[in-house]
Amino acid sequence: MVTTLLFYAFASVLIIAAVGVIASKNPVHSALFLVLAFFESAMLWLLMEAEFLAVVLVLVYVGAVMVLFLFVVMMLDINVERMRDGYTRYLPLGLVVALVVILEIGHVIWYRSQNLPFLTVPEPNPEGYSNTRELGSVLYTEYVYAFELASVVLLLAIVAAITLTMRKRPGLKVQDVAKQVAVNRDDRVRLVKDDAGTETET
Amino acid sequence: MITVSHYLVLAAILFSLSVAGIFINRKNVILLLMCIELMLLAVNFNFIAFSRMLDDTAGQVFVFFILTVAAAEAAIGLAILVVLFRARQSINVEELDSLKG
Amino acid sequence: MPDFTPAAAEIFLIGAICVVLLVDVFLTDEQRRLTFRLAILSIVGAAACSSYFAATESVTGFSGSIVADPMSDLLKMFAYLVVALVFLYSRDYLVRAGLFKGEFFILGLFGLLGIVVMISANSMLTLYLGLEILSLSLYALVAFNRNSATAAESAMKYFVLGAIASGTLLYGISMLYGVTGTIRLDELAAYFTTTATLDVPAMLGLAFVIVGVAFKFGAVPFHMWLPDVYEGAPAPVTLFIGSAPKIAAFALAWRVLVEALGGLHDSWQDMIALLSVLSLAIGNVVAIAQTNLKRMLAYSTISHVGFILMGFVAGTDTGLASAMFYTVTYALTSAAAFGMIILLSRKGFEAERLEDFKGLNERSPWFAFMMLIVMFSMAGVPPFVGFYAKLVVLESVIDAGMLWLAIAGVAFAVIGAFYYLRVVWYMYFDQPAENEVALDADLDLRVVLSANVLALLALGLFPGGLLDLCSRVLS
Repeated sequence: MVTTLLFYAFASVLIIAAVGVIASKNPVHSALFLVLAFFESAMLWLLMEAEFLAVVLVLVYVGAVMVLFLFVVMMLDINVERMRDGYTRYLPLGLVVALVVILEIGHVIWYRSQNLPFLTVPEPNPEGYSNTRELGSVLYTEYVYAFELASVVLLLAIVAAITLTMRKRPGLKVQDVAKQVAVNRDDRVRLVKDDAGTETET
Repeated sequence: MITVSHYLVLAAILFSLSVAGIFINRKNVILLLMCIELMLLAVNFNFIAFSRMLDDTAGQVFVFFILTVAAAEAAIGLAILVVLFRARQSINVEELDSLKG
Repeated sequence: MPDFTPAAAEIFLIGAICVVLLVDVFLTDEQRRLTFRLAILSIVGAAACSSYFAATESVTGFSGSIVADPMSDLLKMFAYLVVALVFLYSRDYLVRAGLFKGEFFILGLFGLLGIVVMISANSMLTLYLGLEILSLSLYALVAFNRNSATAAESAMKYFVLGAIASGTLLYGISMLYGVTGTIRLDELAAYFTTTATLDVPAMLGLAFVIVGVAFKFGAVPFHMWLPDVYEGAPAPVTLFIGSAPKIAAFALAWRVLVEALGGLHDSWQDMIALLSVLSLAIGNVVAIAQTNLKRMLAYSTISHVGFILMGFVAGTDTGLASAMFYTVTYALTSAAAFGMIILLSRKGFEAERLEDFKGLNERSPWFAFMMLIVMFSMAGVPPFVGFYAKLVVLESVIDAGMLWLAIAGVAFAVIGAFYYLRVVWYMYFDQPAENEVALDADLDLRVVLSANVLALLALGLFPGGLLDLCSRVLS
């Protein structure tokens, strides 16, 4: 009963957040709605006892990817008003598309899956069961090839992002710590003999 | 009670909302990137629900890798966006008309 | 301890990429040619690994993540060959355009790795990761010239549409996983051959998967990205996208549609037939209206994809062998065609308009003749290889009892011949523009390009060997 209530609570907030992502006037609001959607998804994944993935979703998505999104949105300084020009023009079409897709997939899932156990309630895992241990035990054995490929994907992302965005600009003021440390007293301090009391001409 | 189908329908709703978002926000590249994230989230819901239904870890492992790839994809997408912005001073798709499409 | 030999080439490539990446960091711009040489050496090494550990029968490895079979070895060899050609053709252009950076070759090697991983995938997960490695490196390569707004724009379009296609493919895969309970291709195949009734959710999954595959192929109506990306990207990147990934797309379609979902052939046959006819029609008709050679070749690619899909529609052993033959020979033809564009390009000038080929015969009779061979081969004029590839595909479709598809194929090929012959007309019967200068490409580029083109003639005259090889590795 509690899980049912929780499911509907999280699911409805998730859908509202998803609508917020696609309908917000301001990209920053969209990004924040997306953060909310990820949080709600993590809650729902916890209800499904996928604890490890729920935590990863919050850490990786909310913690890293969405921050990246927000950085870029802020950095690019987008003209919000002009962004929304075609919004109302496409809105009815978008809604029709969404409704058709929901009805079709929902119909297939709900009414046309007679031979499949889609309408079962999954058994809760036994006490002492660790989702993380379970995933870890297959990740480095059965899926080690995929795991290595995932590392290649990340390396590729690093190389590609640096290739595309890094540029050398002349005239930048850069702090060179090594140079600062290697400095001698003589380079910085010059003792000047000052004859106190001697009159100087101005 | 909450069955697997509940989660699948929720995933279908998310998926179609993301498709609708792509239609509606055709002109705003950064929102398109967010809609793609939403689409992958829907797929992840499917995999996790099926993984629970089948009592099989393959689905959850797949989600693990989708999350990894989606993070890499977002990084490259945003990098291209930055290049585009530097070159055009705009990410409005309507102004991106030097190609006919 | 898993057996590493089925993945020897992939492991070598990953190691080689890391070495090239590290070496490139310490090179000055004058020494950059070393990166190019190392990249070529990496490809040669991977080819050596593949041939040394060549599989005589189908072997799975890494708990069923990958499979090594004769077909994957053959496809990999062609992928190595085509990517090596791409690197060779690109070098001079990149130097002249001031784009000669190590990242081009590193991203290219990443793309090759993605192709190789896809070719020998035995699990949806491996297939997906390979696909993403290939796609992500291609997105970055398209935007490689950071000063070009057009390139960045087409990269963005490619990225957004590609990511949507990946999402669609994944949604389909998740449905198939829910129905069958497995992501391994051989287990999927076993499920669909033993299960008599097809569940509707599986059909839904199948439809989504086909959309994803069609997008990666660039089949109509999922072709929108292709002309823009071909036109917007720098010529070497267009050369890459136009050639090697076609082999990957064939591997994707083969692994998913034939190997895993072969039991559903009756269900997907009509969908693929529709994609095939639409691609033939749109590709050939729209190509006529193009004045930009890269765009024209993009639409020509779409029409060739129609022919490749025809082999899948037939679904017979000869049909699939002919589709494979078509794919590898098209990859070689396409490499030669874009190689010609690169050959004619100079600093700050991209020979991408049809007019740029006017009077090529007077400037360089030899390369005009080479371009003539390429265009004739693409149009399907005997005795070049394009003719024979079309012939075997059409034969297989007729054998499968789909005469209407074969007739459509012939009709649109005849329409398509017009725009290829127009290029030949420009080269031989038009006067060159005033300010044209002689070709100044390096000798090795000229030699390799000529060899590539002559291979099209040789394969057209003696197609039996390669075709036999294709049907042998598939059975």
